[in-house]
Amino acid sequence: MSEPKFERGTSLSIFVSDRREDLSALIFAFAIAFGVMLLA
Amino acid sequence: MIYTIKSPALVIIGILMLIWGGLNKSGNLDGIQSYLQTSAYSDHMKVKEKFDAELRVATEMAAAENKPAPEMKMPESKFDQEKATQTKMSNFFGGAFVLLGLFILVWKPKQGNLDYFVSVVPGIAYILVIAFIVRWGLDPIFANWGNAVKTAGILSWDFAKIFNLNYVVLGIVIGMLIVNVFKIPAWAANGVRTARFFLKTGVILLGTLYSAAELAQLGGLSVVMIGIFVLGSVGLVLFMGKRMKTPNSMTAVLSAGMGVCGVSATVAAAPVVQAKAEEIAYTIGTILIWGVGCMFLFPTIGHLLNMGPVQFGAWAGTGILNSAQVAGAALAFDPTNIETLKVAEIFNITRVLFLPIIVLWLAAWYVKHEEGAKKVNLAQVVIAKFPVFVLGFIAMFALSSMGTFAPAGHYQGKYFSSAEVKEDKLLKDKEARALNGELTRLRTAEGVQALSKYLADKNVVLEGHKVTPDEAFKALDDLIANKKMMTRQQSNILMSVSKMSGLDAVAKGSIEKAEKAATHDSKVIKEYRNWIAWLFAFGLIGLGMQITGKALKQAGGAPLVIGGIVGTLKAVGSLIVVLMFVKEFV
Repeated sequence: MSEPKFERGTSLSIFVSDRREDLSALIFAFAIAFGVMLLA
Repeated sequence: MIYTIKSPALVIIGILMLIWGGLNKSGNLDGIQSYLQTSAYSDHMKVKEKFDAELRVATEMAAAENKPAPEMKMPESKFDQEKATQTKMSNFFGGAFVLLGLFILVWKPKQGNLDYFVSVVPGIAYILVIAFIVRWGLDPIFANWGNAVKTAGILSWDFAKIFNLNYVVLGIVIGMLIVNVFKIPAWAANGVRTARFFLKTGVILLGTLYSAAELAQLGGLSVVMIGIFVLGSVGLVLFMGKRMKTPNSMTAVLSAGMGVCGVSATVAAAPVVQAKAEEIAYTIGTILIWGVGCMFLFPTIGHLLNMGPVQFGAWAGTGILNSAQVAGAALAFDPTNIETLKVAEIFNITRVLFLPIIVLWLAAWYVKHEEGAKKVNLAQVVIAKFPVFVLGFIAMFALSSMGTFAPAGHYQGKYFSSAEVKEDKLLKDKEARALNGELTRLRTAEGVQALSKYLADKNVVLEGHKVTPDEAFKALDDLIANKKMMTRQQSNILMSVSKMSGLDAVAKGSIEKAEKAATHDSKVIKEYRNWIAWLFAFGLIGLGMQITGKALKQAGGAPLVIGGIVGTLKAVGSLIVVLMFVKEFV
């Protein structure tokens, strides 16, 4: 991928830091886990 | 900076998805779908045939009694379910993308969060439509080709299975093709950066598939053995990487892949050591190439050394890196006995539990080596670098072990429950009589001798001790009295006994039927697996889009050499240890 210039995040992530990305993934994963449990 | 680019692309992608959903629902794609979903379609035709016959009989009976024809609805087949899923997903995402795409066309974006996050959506749609093509199209097409080539006798093996030409590999390859041949359109560039986020979400959800109770079936010494090989491989790759002067991020990510189990470990370790996309791809490539060789070699060596199912399972689960290839080698070694596969899988998943330790190790190692001779404060590294998403994996595993998602003791959603056996799945009188006949025969002096020899030869073990004929008799007694399997342990014992030569065919079939009736699938875990597959497909396509040919060339051939040496040492070392110790303690 040609190196795009992004003011936020890095060329690999839209998040400002790895920790922010981790926490977002954690919240999303738990939302999926409990959402599926409730709907299944 | 304004991120949102005005383009009709999102609307077009949305319309294409809606068209696919509409055509699917109307049945216009049934011809294509019957080719893509071969096995589901064959199941569908059986369901349809049965339904047509029942409808005909019911109509004739109604006509004979001068009643109106009955209204009957055909039960939903797997084929119908698959089509319904595709329709739902296409309509949901298609509708959302059309609406948002129209909004982007008329909206005047201003710098800020709304602009930033809206600009991500076209890229997500771009990857998602490719993920649809890969999972619904290319994956089944390659599976069909692999099967066709094998059936036609052109090859004696299924090339699609052996080379793992599934959505994981195809996703990365398609992503690489797009970036190297067509380039990523500007309107999608921002969204491609979400790939790693979705991969991390997938790794966290992986924890739901396993439970501690399943691992408790292994002896403590087996866990120690797995730990030694996992940690030893990581250490060896790190050592060789330094000697061969490969970049630290490349060495670290390769060590996770070689030590634990392929794709998941690579993906989990990559962010911690700031691995580049091409380094991740290189690692996955090395593991898969190595695994293909193992799949051919392991079963042959296993037979040459006259290994038992437990021994071979332990060896394959320790020595082969990729989960699918572990299963492939176990089945190639013994296509009929599930014991080999089960042992191999348990050894294989135990490795995954070393993942948090390895990630922590790599975080400290990476910081230390990137910062040269500077002293590293491990506590600071742990706090600053430890990936929270790995804690998420552990949390999911803990919840799964407590039975939050599926009954405790499940493995990938399959669990044992005697209480849930349905009335119509209980053994019939004829089957109970056949089992009783076999029990009487086995209880004679000759029978006991034959059974003892079989249990010893096959090294049938349970919870650390060798199974005795009395335990087998008790299990058979209970099965006959209750007409269903009562405990998981008894089920395991009888499934081993059912493989004895000379056993009555009806009795053998009854044991298998009772085992199947007591083994249940968790709908929730099945759904999680589906989510994980989509998250990985999406993430790996996005990852592929960050790999250029130039970058791959720069990575050089050193990782392959390191991978080959460490893989060979691990395979040979685990073979020796398994041959020396496994009989005694598994």
